[in-house]
Amino acid sequence: MGNADLRQLAAIEETPFADLEGSVVAVDAHNWLYKYLTTTVQWTGADVYTTSDGTEVANLVGAVQGLPKFFEHGLTPVFVWDGGVTELKDDEIADRREQRERYEEQLDDAREAGDAAEAARLDARTQRLTPTIHETTRELFDLLDIPQVEAPAEGEAQAAYMTRTDDAVDYAGSDDYDCLLLGSPVTLRQLTSSGHPELMDFDATLAEHDLTWEQLVDVGILCGTDFNPGIDGFGPTTALDAIGEHGDLWDVLAAEGEHVAHGDRIRELFLNPDVTDDYVIDPDVSPAIDAARAFVTDEWEVDADAVARGFERIDAAAAQTGLDRWT
Amino acid sequence: MFKAIVSADTLQETLDSVSVLVDECKIHLDDDTLSIRAVDPASVGMVDLDLAATAFESYEADGGLIGVNLSRLEDIAGMADAGQLIQLELDEETRKLHIQIDGLEYTLALIDPDSIRQEPDIPDLDLPAHVAIEGRDIDRAVTAADMVSDHIALGVDTGDDLFYVNAEGDTDDVHLELAPDQLIDLDAGDAHSLFSLDYLKDMNKAIPTTAEVELELGDEFPIKLHFDIADAQGHVTYMLAPRIQSN
Repeated sequence: MGNADLRQLAAIEETPFADLEGSVVAVDAHNWLYKYLTTTVQWTGADVYTTSDGTEVANLVGAVQGLPKFFEHGLTPVFVWDGGVTELKDDEIADRREQRERYEEQLDDAREAGDAAEAARLDARTQRLTPTIHETTRELFDLLDIPQVEAPAEGEAQAAYMTRTDDAVDYAGSDDYDCLLLGSPVTLRQLTSSGHPELMDFDATLAEHDLTWEQLVDVGILCGTDFNPGIDGFGPTTALDAIGEHGDLWDVLAAEGEHVAHGDRIRELFLNPDVTDDYVIDPDVSPAIDAARAFVTDEWEVDADAVARGFERIDAAAAQTGLDRWT
Repeated sequence: MFKAIVSADTLQETLDSVSVLVDECKIHLDDDTLSIRAVDPASVGMVDLDLAATAFESYEADGGLIGVNLSRLEDIAGMADAGQLIQLELDEETRKLHIQIDGLEYTLALIDPDSIRQEPDIPDLDLPAHVAIEGRDIDRAVTAADMVSDHIALGVDTGDDLFYVNAEGDTDDVHLELAPDQLIDLDAGDAHSLFSLDYLKDMNKAIPTTAEVELELGDEFPIKLHFDIADAQGHVTYMLAPRIQSN
């Protein structure tokens, strides 16, 4: 999730798709898929994406609707999947699970009361990425020849690392502001929204506030991250001033008489996260459209009409070559 | 330094052949030629244009580079009648282009050339088939194909010595064959490539029906279309990347 307060510090500007043509984007797969999953569940009837044995695969509808955007703008996505959950994040995950349980109770109430709009809203909020959703999305991407990378831990840490170190990767793609703390040089936000994406620039952010990477992470920790709740009374501006005055997290905490549990380990999660160089990406995508369509509509019994337009758009965009292939 | 007088038709013809692909472009103002090279944002279609100094009533330049908004400049050129002369003068200080048409003076703010998409490298292609054809025949083929499909296949049949055009729609098909006696020239070689009609339609708009168009074609390769403008004082090359047929 990350802390949205970081937006106040981030150097962000809208960037037209035309400027991104031909780029490779390491996309935080969880972040991307979840967005399309919830949108599908909220706006599409469950019968469209439920198999005869009752398994829900709204992810397949969502993914087919979301993918054309990349291809039509000449972007090659590399989907980066989460590996294990970081231990320190357990609290955050437990919180979210509790909240989801609360929503699920409310959802049952809404259904009983016959409030369809409220039920659809809550249904979207109670989605989780089931093992079936993970497996079927990966298989769909395989059929479409879309590169995928398995992160050892957090997907967005791996995406940020690839953007920083791999010449073949031009941008990280995530709505999560944590990409900034993870040192992703350039992150594209709102790839799942209509309109043009936002480009979040790491170096420009550091320069604007005269910070080092470590100091930026310290500012983030003071405001709160997925791994710690943040210090009461510390928003971005206060945290920035405090780091400016005292230099780093430890001196700020000492001066304020505060404490952050596992502060040093949280810092390391951003500065030296568990990532890998052990991956292969082939950005030359040649999708097997018919096989992918059969997988979605025959094997997983998704209503053909729900994905027809998406597959057509992928087909049309993927078959067009660029002149740069010959230069 | 840049100062020139040019007929409205020549200026319009020049701008039109670029604006079908891009909204903004860089214009090189060399001492004997004005030249433009641009590629569309998807890198599918490219234009490479030269207009000799002799195409102008008068022309003075010393190697400058300007960036322009093409539709704005086209609108201004559209204020002139066909035969009217347009006077252009670059103000180096203010980076504005002063345009005069029979007493009407328009000052056009230029665009920073660095903010315009980089000029493309020209693909180095040695294409096996060469076809010289009248602009009106291209127009006929493109118009017919557009009635049935979004794509158009262009090829050369080396066995029967023919240039052919195919378009297959959901229900209707279009087929056109042109033998050497219906063409200006045919140098046959293995060629068959599929192209997006969106692009070819736009390029077709800029090709005069009376022009002699030289096509270079290959097998799933980009096509090159060459033709003259401004009484052969200008030359345009279009390049268009093919669609690769997926199984």
